[in-house]
Amino acid sequence: MILPKVHEVRLDNGFRALLVERHNLPVVASLLVYEVGARDERTGETGLSHFLEHMMFKGTERFGKGMIDLLTAKLGGSNNAFTDNDVTAYHFSLAADRWDTALEIEANRMRGCLLDEKEFAAEKSVVLEELAMGEDDPARMLYQTAESLVFQVHPYHHPVIGWKEDLQRLDVAGMRAYYERHYGPNRAFLVAIGDFDLKTTEARVRELFAGIPPLAQPRAAALQEPQQKGERRAVVRFPGNIPRLALAARSVRVGEADDFPLDLLAFLLGHGKTARLYQRLVLKEQIATDVVVANESRLDPGVFWILAELHEDAQPAEAERMVRAEIERIALDGVSAADLRRVRTQIRAGFLFEGETVLDLAVKLGRYEASAREGYRLLDRVLPAYDAVRPAQVRAVAERYLAPDSLTAVWSVPESFSLAQGTRRSKAARARR
Amino acid sequence: MSAPAVGTAVGQKLQLAIGERVLDRGLTLLAVQNPGVPTFACSVLLDVDLRDERRGEDGLANLVGDCLDEGTSRRGNTALAAAVESLGAALEGHASGGRVQCPAENAGKALALLVEMLTQPAFGAREVARVKAEILNEIRADEEEPRTVAALRFRAEVYGAHPYGRPGRGTARTVRAFAPAQLRAFHARGFVAPGGIVAAAGPEPVARTLDLLEHAFRPLKGRTIDHPPVPAPRPAGARRDVHLPMPREQVHVFLGHLGIKRTHPDYYALSVMDHVLGTGPGFTSRIQRRLRDEQGLCYTVNASISAGAGEEVGTFSAYIGTSPEHRQRAIDGFLEEIERLRAEPPGEAEVRDVHDYLTGSFVFGLERNASLAAFATRVKKFDLGFDYLQRYPALIRAVTPAEVHRVACQHLHPDAMVVVSAGAG
Repeated sequence: MILPKVHEVRLDNGFRALLVERHNLPVVASLLVYEVGARDERTGETGLSHFLEHMMFKGTERFGKGMIDLLTAKLGGSNNAFTDNDVTAYHFSLAADRWDTALEIEANRMRGCLLDEKEFAAEKSVVLEELAMGEDDPARMLYQTAESLVFQVHPYHHPVIGWKEDLQRLDVAGMRAYYERHYGPNRAFLVAIGDFDLKTTEARVRELFAGIPPLAQPRAAALQEPQQKGERRAVVRFPGNIPRLALAARSVRVGEADDFPLDLLAFLLGHGKTARLYQRLVLKEQIATDVVVANESRLDPGVFWILAELHEDAQPAEAERMVRAEIERIALDGVSAADLRRVRTQIRAGFLFEGETVLDLAVKLGRYEASAREGYRLLDRVLPAYDAVRPAQVRAVAERYLAPDSLTAVWSVPESFSLAQGTRRSKAARARR
Repeated sequence: MSAPAVGTAVGQKLQLAIGERVLDRGLTLLAVQNPGVPTFACSVLLDVDLRDERRGEDGLANLVGDCLDEGTSRRGNTALAAAVESLGAALEGHASGGRVQCPAENAGKALALLVEMLTQPAFGAREVARVKAEILNEIRADEEEPRTVAALRFRAEVYGAHPYGRPGRGTARTVRAFAPAQLRAFHARGFVAPGGIVAAAGPEPVARTLDLLEHAFRPLKGRTIDHPPVPAPRPAGARRDVHLPMPREQVHVFLGHLGIKRTHPDYYALSVMDHVLGTGPGFTSRIQRRLRDEQGLCYTVNASISAGAGEEVGTFSAYIGTSPEHRQRAIDGFLEEIERLRAEPPGEAEVRDVHDYLTGSFVFGLERNASLAAFATRVKKFDLGFDYLQRYPALIRAVTPAEVHRVACQHLHPDAMVVVSAGAG
């Protein structure tokens, strides 16, 4: 059992609230999750979910421009938001005796965001600067290129921040239509964790949210990504000298049966210094400086990532060969029960550390509620599910999901790198550039 | 050994039990009880850092820190990592010590590994060579990252010959030249008990945690470190403007000059000033409101003098990442807002809002056990007293608009700003 009891409130208009009492500190974290993200954007409107998230701080009739931040500051708290492929979420951390203001703001801006034309124009510049910041980040460009190759039909193909051309064309009318289409009580839920009284909080939630009319349309299903039938590859050129490698494959939904052995596989390959890819690429062969492996399960089947930052003089092809060899070793030889015991210990510890702050806990609960078939109840069975995984299942998911024909390989290489020869250009050739 | 002193600090409704025990050999032990969370964290801050590097040793302290968890005299790097991971722990070394966190039930075993790492590092030739190669790669990566390029040059311009003016990682030339014997020598003279602070936080009572620490840290001994003289930072000069072109989308601009030490009596007034001027939640400060919220010039912008205040003089630094066509407009915006704050005091309400934010929000920095250990270390290092949480609200609320105006005039110097940018343009 990871969490104390979750008290679930369901309103007639479809709004849900998940409330958890925790009294060790006089604080409360609230997280208002909208079930809309980059996954829900149509062609030509990419980036709208994220841009709208920015605009939700720009004021309502009741809380004018700047008031949400100012009120939060005056109350000695903090607020922020995030947008990903599946959700857009807004959070407040406030002292327990004044967190009610967060509920008032969330209820008010669910349908009352002003979306002022002048503010829209100023914020578009901010979002374009954020996009430019990402374009200067080689790791982000590597990740984005790989994701766009892994998904060719499903909207996960698009970057969450959107394509520059789409962002430049967006207008306030389009954003308003998007807001009205997706922001409503039956497309949202609240998670609140902290030092409050359940009965009082439930009454307040009902008072503030029950009167908001629901949206007519439910969330639409996204296009399904067809099965990948062969390896995909790409190369990204980047100024500088550090080569990077991404190997990616489609994985599963949050909480599906294979989600747990895939998580264990990710830990075995890339978490900690005893992990197989760290041992091989960083310690033994010394071809990489770091390796990251993650099973990013999502609302729709997500991505299994293997990312490596290589030494300046390393050959990406060589690193890729080694990564593939380690995957193959697991697919052929399997893993030991001792391996699984070690990574289960790490996963259990990770849950404890995530539980240290009320906000981290709220975000975890919110992610499960938004993405898993059984919602937040997944928390009750997640650790037993890891315990139940047998070595043969880890071997099976390695063989199934990381088969050569299922992989997408992207190299980010310096401009001086010669693809024809698989090596750097000669010094003379480099000097001519 | 001194008698244990246990203080109870109360901030708002927050009850925090902190205990201290100073050992004869000059090591201070601190324990914080956090009954609500079943994790444990311990942080060790010894009286050594890059200021103890001698001529030609740029980056040695960092290399020593990075090599600490690469194996001990008892076990190789993989065996050490396996021992750590079997506890669900995370162990890390750094130039001034190390830290560990783990499930609370494994506190004793994890502490033993932390002490083994700090007192018996192997500095094996193969491991040192590998970590050196990784640092050389990091140095190359830094050279490709315009924000880091600008930040390093800014510090070099502001600090001059002071150790904070050089990159903590050293240079490719110095890092290549280090041999394991130099690491052992630096470790032998610097990783000693006198002047060190060990702080732990977890669910156990304070006295029990202090006993645990005292037992675990028995092997940490040694004589007081003989610190080399530290050159004074470069005196402020006329305004300088440096641009380092790189083929990127954005340009990253740092602007500022030397700041204050953490012990400066104006620290609290400057903390309030920072939140009026350039830092804080959302876009409530003047600079964030103007450059991001109103003009849309950037995604990230901030300015602060208190954030960098430490044992040594920190910096006043303002930062923005923006498109190259906005560079000058952003610099003008920074300077105009600084001049405005020097020209007239902020409003009563503006300062009261900052009081409310600072006095209400500090509790959120104390949720994690690692944060509590860091807090206890700070309290001890800067002699803030275990009643600091109780006193902090009054210290902040005592800052008036006139005080903010006074410290802005005294500590912000628009005519002596160093401006460094790197990236597009």
